[in-house]
Amino acid sequence: MREYKVVVLGSGGVGKSALTVKFVSGTFMEKYDPTIEDFYRKEIEVDSAPSVLEILDTAGTEQFASMRDLYIKNGQGFVIVYSITSLQTFQDIKTMRDQIQRVKGSERIPMILVGNKADLEHQREVPITEGASLAQHWGCPYLETSAKSTQNVNELFIEIVREMNSAPVKEQKGCCSIL
Amino acid sequence: MQGGDSPARAVDEEKPGTAGITIRAATPEHLIQLCVKAFTEHGVDEQQVEFVKVFFLMHQWFMTSEDLAQAFIDLYQGCDETVTCDKDSYWIVNFPVHFDMDGRLRSVVQNLGAVIQSEGNKQLRELVDLSTVPSYDWMRNMSVRNPASKHARKVSLVFNHLEPEELAAQLTYLEYKAFRRIHFVDFKNYALTASLKDQPKLERSIALFNGLSQWVQCMVLCKTTPQQRADVITKFINVAQHLRVLQNFNTLMAIVGGLSHSALARLSKTIACLPSESQKLLMEYTELLSSNNNFSNYRKVYHSCTGFKIPILGVHLKDIISLQTALPDKVEGGLLNFRKMAQLAIILRELTHLQGHESVPVEANMDLVNTLRLSLDLHYTEDEIYELSLAREPRGSLSSPTTPTKPVVFADWVAGVSPPDPNTINKHVHDMVEAVFKNYDHDKDGFISHGEFEAIAGNFPFIDSFCVLDADQDGMISKVEMKTYFIRANCHALRNSFKHAFHETTYFRPTFCIHCTGLLWGLIKQGWKCKDCGINAHKHCKDLVVMECRSKGSTKRNESLTNGVTVHEMTLSAKRKISQRQKRSSSSPSHMSEQSTQTDDVTRRATTLRDAQGHREVTVVDGEFYEEQSLLYERLLKAEEAREKLMEENCMLRSRLDTANEQIVTLKSHIGVIRQNTIAFILEQMDALHMQRDTEV
Repeated sequence: MREYKVVVLGSGGVGKSALTVKFVSGTFMEKYDPTIEDFYRKEIEVDSAPSVLEILDTAGTEQFASMRDLYIKNGQGFVIVYSITSLQTFQDIKTMRDQIQRVKGSERIPMILVGNKADLEHQREVPITEGASLAQHWGCPYLETSAKSTQNVNELFIEIVREMNSAPVKEQKGCCSIL
Repeated sequence: MQGGDSPARAVDEEKPGTAGITIRAATPEHLIQLCVKAFTEHGVDEQQVEFVKVFFLMHQWFMTSEDLAQAFIDLYQGCDETVTCDKDSYWIVNFPVHFDMDGRLRSVVQNLGAVIQSEGNKQLRELVDLSTVPSYDWMRNMSVRNPASKHARKVSLVFNHLEPEELAAQLTYLEYKAFRRIHFVDFKNYALTASLKDQPKLERSIALFNGLSQWVQCMVLCKTTPQQRADVITKFINVAQHLRVLQNFNTLMAIVGGLSHSALARLSKTIACLPSESQKLLMEYTELLSSNNNFSNYRKVYHSCTGFKIPILGVHLKDIISLQTALPDKVEGGLLNFRKMAQLAIILRELTHLQGHESVPVEANMDLVNTLRLSLDLHYTEDEIYELSLAREPRGSLSSPTTPTKPVVFADWVAGVSPPDPNTINKHVHDMVEAVFKNYDHDKDGFISHGEFEAIAGNFPFIDSFCVLDADQDGMISKVEMKTYFIRANCHALRNSFKHAFHETTYFRPTFCIHCTGLLWGLIKQGWKCKDCGINAHKHCKDLVVMECRSKGSTKRNESLTNGVTVHEMTLSAKRKISQRQKRSSSSPSHMSEQSTQTDDVTRRATTLRDAQGHREVTVVDGEFYEEQSLLYERLLKAEEAREKLMEENCMLRSRLDTANEQIVTLKSHIGVIRQNTIAFILEQMDALHMQRDTEV
């Protein structure tokens, strides 16, 4: 069974934890301990292939600048989240792809752009078209989700697994010289 | 009020969520009643010990301490007096910090004390006595004056001489100081808002963390050869080793994070110079702190550590936020989710417990701490550091061409962490400068000599040269000069250090590009010059220049300085500028006089300029008399602008003069030729006449 390391990035308060928690724990949340080893580990089937996802939720550590590089180094696929109710959070993530590419030293990196809090349509500040065009520019899929209504939550993680499947397994450093 | 089980309470009898706590959810009022019931005549009911602990620790999550105390007092009326006082006494003894930090809570409890006293019950009065509550001043204030260090032991403040062990100890001292100030409410607010707004204590701790990582990167990158850089990395790895021994995981994370940051990790030449031992250690620490499997390596090691330890704050903040997100505050129709409180209590109890550690295994050396604190206050953007990294070891042909080549701009994610306010900076600068002078001013005359300066400069990755600090050019650095420099540096110059103010320029002498070292070709507008530091570059090179901008006292930049600098220091920085200006103008007095004889217009302007300069000097000499700093600065600014204009005009006029002179030379040579021709003609004619006469004769 293939294992995937997914990192969830984005500014504070966009609902990274909510998405992660919704995905890993489902609805029943009586027993909950975020400090145990395989808490963020979940098995899902993607295109009839069973896969294990290990999700790294970066909530709470957004401000620790040097932890971010370590996170990115460890991750294989990246879920980049903003809140559709806050333009600022959308601006914040615009340079995220460049940073990931810099740390990874590779251009082709599996990632997905996610506009969260889609249930709060009346507070929307970022139009769907804006998100879609950024995703197109990045060449990655785009989804609007709601952790609250669980809209697209599973789909988002299925999609990132597909992205990782279509990308080369190892990031290749300097082997595709176009000189 | 003291009835049995209320229907508004859900009790979880079979499988308690947390050991020792059966209650799952209830209204706050019922929790208070339960708490009251837990206190019997013989103290706390053994079965409820855990509940009572969690209740007192966590009550601030859902109500203020003041309200809780008031609720207790309300219950005190007409029920068992001793029990109420027992509770308060338990509270005071176990959570003294609540009482010292919350003024309103204090007054409520003092009122209770007064009520009891009026009833004449002395024994009960003693139970709610607050006078034994220790002071938590260190927690309340952002910066507490440190007790003067008793040991007069002199240490080297120089990075190169600093023992890794000493450095690790002092960093731990700083870290612990920042960590222990973070209050329960700070954690709670961060979990609820996910923002650092209005949370200076948490922000300060995170700023220290980020500052340290950046300092590590800058200290490495300021060295020019791969071997030197590798040596600095090795040193920091040794520091990390000692931090591990001290069980200071937060600082360890900051150092390892800095060392494995992409700006350093890409330096393949430097990494090649690292001893294998150091490489192995760095790998080991990266592994230890890795986020893999939910930080399982770190968690295991952390839990096995006993005694003094500093956790990786980020990891535990993440756990708190995760709990806060996953578990609802209210369950079963508006009941307070006490299970959530119990689970949060596990993390928060650990953190607050560590904050109260009595025996800190490090001894503070305030001189070193002050120097370090200032070193760590530098604020570079990720971008600037990465650019410096690229400058040190440019992307070779071997490195991946797939990396983006365009200059990359990075979101300032750390934007939430703002640099400390001017007052804090001033204080830090003051402490640091005092420390430097205490240790380096051997003859106690209040000045630092050239040689001593070179040694200290090693701690500050991008400090200017001795001459820049020595504002009055007397060959010594005074305390005031050093303070002025650091405040200026902190306010402005360092933030913008890489940004040049380029403008198109025409050069009259052969000038070379700072980036490619090639000649700036052409007749006019050959290149671009930085207004502030004066470096020159080709148009196509100017964006690639990686040299920092070392502003030579551009007045514009100094405007913001007025915030934090005293009048005296201001005079000094003004003096510095003038001395620089005098130096510059003294180098070109000949042009000036030459020019003034050329045109009336220029003469007039030059007089204006001299007037302005004279005026400035008068103002500076009579430092006490000038009305307002801002006014002076405006004048300086204007004078500077006028001067720049004049300089430009001067250049233009000189070039015209040169062309005119050339023309004169050409004309003169023409005259010569014509004269020669004429003379030759005359001589010829005369010869002819002679010939004619001769023949006639």
